[in-house]
Amino acid sequence: MNPIHPDYPLPDLDDPVMRPFWEGARAGKLMLQREPATGAVHWPPKPLYWKGGGRLEWFAASGRGRVHSYVVAYEPFLPAFRHLLPLVLVLVEVEEGPRLVGYMVNTTPEAMTFGMPVRVVFQPLTAEVTLPVWEPVS
Amino acid sequence: MSAPDEDLFRRIRDRVAIVGIGQLPFARDIGRPISDTAVEAIQIALADAGVRAEDVDGMSMLEMEDTHEVSIARRLGVRDLHWWSKISYGGGASCATVMHAAAAVASGLATTVTCHRARNRGSRSSRPWSLERVLVKDDKALHTPWGLIRPVDVIGMWAHRHMHEYGTKREHFGNVAIAARKHAQRNPLAMMRDRPLDMQTYLNARVIGYPLHLYDCCLETDGALACVVTSVERARDLARKPVLVHAVAQASGPNPVHLANYNNTPGMDTTSVFCAKSLWARSELGPADMDCAQIYDAFTPLVIMGLEDYGFCKRGEGGPFTEGGRIELGGALPVLTSGGGLSEAYVHGFNLILEAVRQIRGTSASQVPGCAATLVTGASGVATSALVLRAA
Repeated sequence: MNPIHPDYPLPDLDDPVMRPFWEGARAGKLMLQREPATGAVHWPPKPLYWKGGGRLEWFAASGRGRVHSYVVAYEPFLPAFRHLLPLVLVLVEVEEGPRLVGYMVNTTPEAMTFGMPVRVVFQPLTAEVTLPVWEPVS
Repeated sequence: MSAPDEDLFRRIRDRVAIVGIGQLPFARDIGRPISDTAVEAIQIALADAGVRAEDVDGMSMLEMEDTHEVSIARRLGVRDLHWWSKISYGGGASCATVMHAAAAVASGLATTVTCHRARNRGSRSSRPWSLERVLVKDDKALHTPWGLIRPVDVIGMWAHRHMHEYGTKREHFGNVAIAARKHAQRNPLAMMRDRPLDMQTYLNARVIGYPLHLYDCCLETDGALACVVTSVERARDLARKPVLVHAVAQASGPNPVHLANYNNTPGMDTTSVFCAKSLWARSELGPADMDCAQIYDAFTPLVIMGLEDYGFCKRGEGGPFTEGGRIELGGALPVLTSGGGLSEAYVHGFNLILEAVRQIRGTSASQVPGCAATLVTGASGVATSALVLRAA
C-alpha cells in the first residue's frame, strides 16, 4: 500500500448507510442492497429502516459488469489523483443492474470501449479504506 | 384538494410578472465581495422596475456561495422582509428563484420579490471542487473518492454515452459553442464579445476531460444579476411592460443523487426530462410556441440533451438539430441568444433569465423579431428548474 496524498478525499466511514459498502470493500466484497421479497437491487444504498425496516438486505455482488460510459482526465486536477493520470473514470453497469462510479486500472484510454466487460479489483488506500476499482476482463 | 382553478400554478400563470432586471458588468475579477455586488445588482433591477426598496417584502436567491437576505435588506433599505427562500443545486436553482418568488406572490406571502445571483468565480482558486479534502460525506462519497469531481467529468459521462448511443459528434457540440459565440459577439455585455470561434479552432482545442474540450466548457466569471417579481395588477403601475411568468417547474427526478445522478431511470434520463414534463403540463404553450430558448449550458452537450428533454426534438436527435444554423439567430430556434454560460458569462444560468426578459421586451442584442414566448432552463443532471416567459 503506497501512502496516499494527505489531501486525498476519503469517504466518511461513519455514515451508517454507507458503512457496509466500505466494510465489504475492505474484506474484498462489492456490497449492494436488494429487496429479498422482489430481488430489486438498490443503488445508492438506503437506510435499513427504509419504509419501516426489514425490506432491504446487503449482499455480495458478482463484481462483474460492463462499461456504460467513461471519461478520461489527462490534466492534473487534484494533487491526490495526479499519480493516476491519465485517469479513466468509468461508469460500470454491474450484472445486478445499478451503475457504479469508479476508475479503471490495468488498461489505457485507447483500449476502452463501450460495453466492454470489466471486473472489480480492490485497491487499499489506508488501513481502513479500500476502493473498489475496475479492470478489463481479458 | 383545492379546485383546479385554485392550483397555485394556475394562479401564477400570466398573473405574475418580471418587472425589472439589473446587473453589474461581468468580469474576471470584479474586485468586490458578493455581499456588496448582490445589493447593487438588486438596486439596479429595482430602479429598472420603478420599485422602491421600501416596497420589497420578499427575496429569493441561490444557496451555493450564499448571500444573506437580512444583510441585503439592510443595505438596500428594505423596511421588513416577510418571506425569503434559498435554493440548492447551483445551476439547477436559477429558474427556481423566479418560481419561488412567483409562488410567494400568487399565494400572498409576499407582494414584491427580488431574485438574484451574485457569484465570484473568475479566479481559478474559487472553483468549489478544487477545495475537496479528506472525509467526503453523503452523496459525494458515491463519486469523489474515485476522482470523479470536476463537473466536466460528471457531465462527460452523459455526453460520451450520448455520442455512443446516438452517434452525436463533436461537431454537434461545436455547433452549440459557435452559436453561443456568434450571439456573444453581438452582445456588448458578453465576456467573449471580441473573440470569434470557428469549427477548426473548436475541434483543435485542448482536451479538458475527454470527450469534452476547452470550448465545450462554460466560462468562469464574476457577476451579479437580479430581477424583480410582482403581480400583474401591481405591474400596471410600474415603469416597464411586464414580462409574464407563464409556467414554472422544479424537479429532482426519481432516485436522485446530487451530482453522479446515474441511477434515476434505466435510460439515465437527465433531471430535465422530469422538469419538462411538469413545465409543459402547467403551460398552455408547447415547445413549438417558443420563439427562442435559453437552455442551460455549463457544457455544450447539456444543450443538445436539453433540446431533446424539453421536446424540441426526439431523444437522440439533439445533435443533428443543431445543424444548418437552426439554433443561431435567424434559424428556427435561436438558442442562448446572449451567448449563455459558454460565451456571455457563467453565473449559474441567471444571465439566461435576464436574456429571456430582454427577448420578450424586444431589447436583446440578438433580438428574435416579435419574440412572444421563450423557455429558460436550469442545469441538467442536478435537481433543476425551468420557466416559460411570455409577452403580455
